[in-house]
Amino acid sequence: MIRAALPTAALLVGLAGCVASPPLADGLPLRMPRALELRDTPFFPQKDYQCGPAALATVLGASGVQVQPDALAPQVFLPKRRGSLQAELIGAARRQGRLAYQLPGNGQALLAELAEGRPVLLLQNLGVKQIPRWHYAVLIGYDADRNVAVLRSGRHERQEMRWQRFARSWDRAGRWAMTTIAPGVIPAQAESARYLEATAGIESAGNREAAALSYDAAIARWPDEPMAWLGRGNVSYADGDRAAAADAYSRAASLAPGNAAARNNLAQVLAAAGCMAEARRQLERALTLATGTALASTIETTRAGIEAEGQSSAMQCAFPDRQWPD
Amino acid sequence: MRIERFRRSCVALLSVSLISVGLQTPAAAGIVGTADAIAVVQQQNDLAVVRDALARADVREQMVTLGVDPAEVDGRLGALTAPELARLAGNIKEAPAGGDSALAILGIVFIVLLVLELTGTIDIFKKT
Repeated sequence: MIRAALPTAALLVGLAGCVASPPLADGLPLRMPRALELRDTPFFPQKDYQCGPAALATVLGASGVQVQPDALAPQVFLPKRRGSLQAELIGAARRQGRLAYQLPGNGQALLAELAEGRPVLLLQNLGVKQIPRWHYAVLIGYDADRNVAVLRSGRHERQEMRWQRFARSWDRAGRWAMTTIAPGVIPAQAESARYLEATAGIESAGNREAAALSYDAAIARWPDEPMAWLGRGNVSYADGDRAAAADAYSRAASLAPGNAAARNNLAQVLAAAGCMAEARRQLERALTLATGTALASTIETTRAGIEAEGQSSAMQCAFPDRQWPD
Repeated sequence: MRIERFRRSCVALLSVSLISVGLQTPAAAGIVGTADAIAVVQQQNDLAVVRDALARADVREQMVTLGVDPAEVDGRLGALTAPELARLAGNIKEAPAGGDSALAILGIVFIVLLVLELTGTIDIFKKT
């Protein structure tokens, strides 16, 4: 344990500072091979200013989506900034049906993704702090004995960069890195919060099928994670499946009794299913919980909607004998 | 820097005044979207408060100003969550735009560094 922890700590410390970046070998976890290269990763030489679309097409290709940089450029390129923003690379990945999983800012996270066969799209600052030169590249491997990072970068199909130089360029760019993953796949090292943010993103982008697969996978991996159930409920509700949505919201509210969003959404689906008394009760809980927060006005809107509905509807409750979270 | 701060204040103020508009997309009426729910749990309240409609309109305008084909803008914005849009509304002109023109920027950087080196301000070209 300690033997494994020490090199890891060294790697983390090394990437933290510009001054004392250690060679890769000093920080390579023992379970990792000495050298690794994802040679099958496609390569798209970039055109001027188009490293964003090229790097995105590279990782998308590795995750099974065949797309040319020219097709991605209209989705990410900002002409007058002569480049592409991180947020838009994330958005474009979603439009291609892939989750954009943003990695924690440590070298070990990059290596772990490579070990699972996923190349990593990352931002580098090839200039200096005051005069940045932002560049997207794709990390496809490393060699600890030769102390290099291996990249698909710009017009270079295979670029070797001394590890410390690579680590510093990444550090100067805020250590931003992401991988694109197929719905339903969860990285072995994934943190639930990061994975669920990625899933909520593809849900926002309107890809309910991908979101459903990903929430199901998240629930299987983290059954006690309320946001996975809330998300699953939202997809079911959007699909018109009230029974499944009510079940999922109910689980979310049981796991996180203080979560106003789960109560609000449960109230909404209960009202839609004609269970007015229980809907009002859940909504009261939501309102109390959300007092003074950003959700208060949304929940008021829900209440107005439910009351307007309640006066006109004489519908029987679709779930008459069920227990709901207190 | 000041303009940036002014812009942020504007976004914050407007968002508070528009909060009653409520979130309409992408979640259905009466439903709190997952991205918003996560933002609230993570206490990014300022982000969750910035309502979709406002941030969307703001970013749309800025994107067109920055040269994006208006026909492409809605598709691009549609792929982002409300908290992401709110962040973008505040920093679209400053956020890192990875582009790396092969020579132009490199040339400028090199000349600037060379001048600084020759004037003795920095010494990055010497091996330490």
